[in-house]
Amino acid sequence: MTKRIITVDDAATMRRLVGYTLRGAGHEVLEAEDGEDALRVLSQQSVDLVITDVNMPKMDGIELVRQLRALRDFKTIPILLLTTESDPEKKRQGKQAGATGWITKPFQPDQLIAAVSKVTGS
Amino acid sequence: MNDDMQKQLIQDLVIESLEGLDAFDAGMLALEENSGDAQEHLRLAFRMIHTVKGSSGCLGFETIERVAHAGENLLSLLRDEVVPVDKPVITGLLRCSDALRDMMHRLESGETPDVVRHADLLQLLEGLQRSGKQEARQGYGFFHGAPGIPPKASSMESAPQGWGLFDEAPPAANEISIEASGEDLAVVEEAEIKEAADKSSQAAAGPRASESAIRVEVAQIDRLMNLVGELVLARNQILQLAGEKADASLIGPIQRVNLITTELQANVMKTRMQTVQTVWSKFPRLVRDLSLELGKKVALTMEGQETELDRTVIEAIKDPLTHIVRNSIDHGIEDPASRRIAGKPEMAQLRLRAFHEGGQVVLEIGDDGRGIDPAKILRKAQERGLVSSEEAGRMGDRDIVNLIFLAGLSTAEKVTNVSGRGVGMDVVRSNVEKIGGTVEVSSVVGEGTTIQIRIPLTLAIVPALLIACGSGRFAIPQASLVELVRLDPNNCARRVEWIDQAPVLRLRGKLLALFDLAKFLGFSGHATAEDAFVVVVEADGRKFGLIVDAVLDTEEIVVKPLHRMLKALGAFAGATILGDGQVALILDIAGLARRGGMVGVRKPFEAESMIEKHELESDGSERVRLLMTRVSANRVALPLEEVTRIEEISAGSIERSGPREVLQYRGRIMPLVRISDCLGEARTSGDASDLVRVVVCQLSGTQTGLIIDEIEDIFEESVRVERFGNERCIAGSLVAGGMVADLLDLDRIADFAGLKGRT
Repeated sequence: MTKRIITVDDAATMRRLVGYTLRGAGHEVLEAEDGEDALRVLSQQSVDLVITDVNMPKMDGIELVRQLRALRDFKTIPILLLTTESDPEKKRQGKQAGATGWITKPFQPDQLIAAVSKVTGS
Repeated sequence: MNDDMQKQLIQDLVIESLEGLDAFDAGMLALEENSGDAQEHLRLAFRMIHTVKGSSGCLGFETIERVAHAGENLLSLLRDEVVPVDKPVITGLLRCSDALRDMMHRLESGETPDVVRHADLLQLLEGLQRSGKQEARQGYGFFHGAPGIPPKASSMESAPQGWGLFDEAPPAANEISIEASGEDLAVVEEAEIKEAADKSSQAAAGPRASESAIRVEVAQIDRLMNLVGELVLARNQILQLAGEKADASLIGPIQRVNLITTELQANVMKTRMQTVQTVWSKFPRLVRDLSLELGKKVALTMEGQETELDRTVIEAIKDPLTHIVRNSIDHGIEDPASRRIAGKPEMAQLRLRAFHEGGQVVLEIGDDGRGIDPAKILRKAQERGLVSSEEAGRMGDRDIVNLIFLAGLSTAEKVTNVSGRGVGMDVVRSNVEKIGGTVEVSSVVGEGTTIQIRIPLTLAIVPALLIACGSGRFAIPQASLVELVRLDPNNCARRVEWIDQAPVLRLRGKLLALFDLAKFLGFSGHATAEDAFVVVVEADGRKFGLIVDAVLDTEEIVVKPLHRMLKALGAFAGATILGDGQVALILDIAGLARRGGMVGVRKPFEAESMIEKHELESDGSERVRLLMTRVSANRVALPLEEVTRIEEISAGSIERSGPREVLQYRGRIMPLVRISDCLGEARTSGDASDLVRVVVCQLSGTQTGLIIDEIEDIFEESVRVERFGNERCIAGSLVAGGMVADLLDLDRIADFAGLKGRT
């Protein structure tokens, strides 16, 4: 089933790659450059899944998770951290903020698609 | 993944990474200088390199990922204060960013980056990490189980599954929904496919609502600029037609098209503008590396980074500027010991400035180094036979110092590997002149050197002089224009003479080589001796005259690139379409000089160039070109250097703006100053049909028209200015052409006319 997914990353390459992979799997993909940008987009459109980078200017991924979880509409929506670091500290912070899970960069396309289907139930 | 997508992703990666790496470098340098918030610089640098690592990893460029990863590791130790901020660490990180940059460039040109090239660097970075890690053992668990301590362990290996869910994490879909969707699959399939198609086309149309800036390819902007150029030309034709066969109902819309076109042109030009910062951002790094290498201490300051220039101009000045900065550090600035002995602070100052002045951009590179010794330059120039002793005697210090722009004059006592590479200041000058700019140096021994480059704002539209030759019309860029001389077969001073079958003109006591344009272009039946004009032009420091049939007009022309067949001739720089729709070729003056074998006089030998006002006022005498005019009974002289144009207007076209007399001139309002008022003379009365002669020049940066009664002549004289009284507006008296004349003080006239303090 088509899901609407937002990918949040300050690197255009990453947004494009995630977008390309997920659109190829039949999903609709929105893009945002950083946490603030994502909040702006999400105030106008709803999504089924948030995939966010951790290290970003303005508002990083952890803070984005925290702020989204504070909003009524985003209490139960899955949020995945897309991160290069298998750094347990960052993972712990992400978990504490309320993230659903993580995807390691670099990812294999089928891994990403599998993670997305699992978490969105599609 | 298809090829286009792959290409697109790589292009994104390269652009994004190169920008990120520049920011990374800037952060490192700021960190080293201890300016600003160190943690902030580190955060930024960390994010940049992290992004490079992540993106390149995702695209499968493991080598890039590995180098970035090594840098990131070291950087994180720096961030956590495990490794101290010192020169070797910063140098290592800068080298890492160089390596990444290099790999990006390789990627861009289709190569696969290989790691062998950077094995040394990886080792170095590792070594630097190890130096700090010993102390870090217990304090921090950051690296536990993390990828990269041996750099070949990539993050993929350490996380084979690649993703995971946190325990007891809030949402996550449950098994039921998966089963449910499985059951319904067959039913909804068709509808879903349709929906998916709709949505994906929607997504492709505009997935990003919240972006305020977009990336546009430079080539796209160039195409746009080209189209606007075409539009301007079409507009000019319409305007001309409308003037001839005006249909009243069309005038309104045509005027609107006219205005919109002008505005469109201005705005498209604006999109091509880049700040000087684009070039300067490389300099802190360059200065750091060079001063380390040469053991000098240099503080770099930059002013006016936000000054904008057309990107073609930016492109063209990149190398000359870099060369000058290198030169300055290598030759200009002394080592700390010498500076101490000279009583100067050990830390030398290198200052870059950019600002607008009179429709041009001025770039200035100044140092407080040892300066250029004129005696040394002159000796060297004479040794190499570049200057005769007679010429040497006539040259002022300023002229001598400007000899550094001559080919084959390298003044460094020993050639170093920093700047003495056979690429000299002559290349700097020819590069700057290629884009219609000028370069000038001024220096005081022991105090420093300043090099000033003046360049036009844009290359796409240039002011040009239109001339006729044979049956064609040609444009000569104003930048290479020196003066116009009308030939008169009855006046021996204005007649073409022949030396060894080469035409020459006697101009103010000097022989000027002439170039017969008609002959060169293959036009026949053209009389060199009668009723022709000589356009004196200058290129590559060579001055010569072009014989043409008629001088037509000046016009702002839109430069169109030339077909390569014509380009190969080396005679034309481009083409343009004139207001009447006809095509005119733009002459390539430097090319013509080469084709015609013009051995002109090289610029610095003529002491007539670049004479400053204070030099005129001093007691010494200098050779200078003067425009001699008459105002009532006075003979009044102006330095020709200051004069832009001489115009004849009808008295009726003078209008008033407040207390000031003004003239609509080339689409702008130009203030007028009556020299008779400045001199306290009564105005000569006349009626509206009378012709008024106006000398156009720059007063305090404002284009101003000086009204005089008559133009008498141009002299090149060795003048000595003497002051008797203290008349306002007059710098003093001098003898030119055997008669006494008053030299105008343009600065005081600006004051008198209330033009000071305007911009």
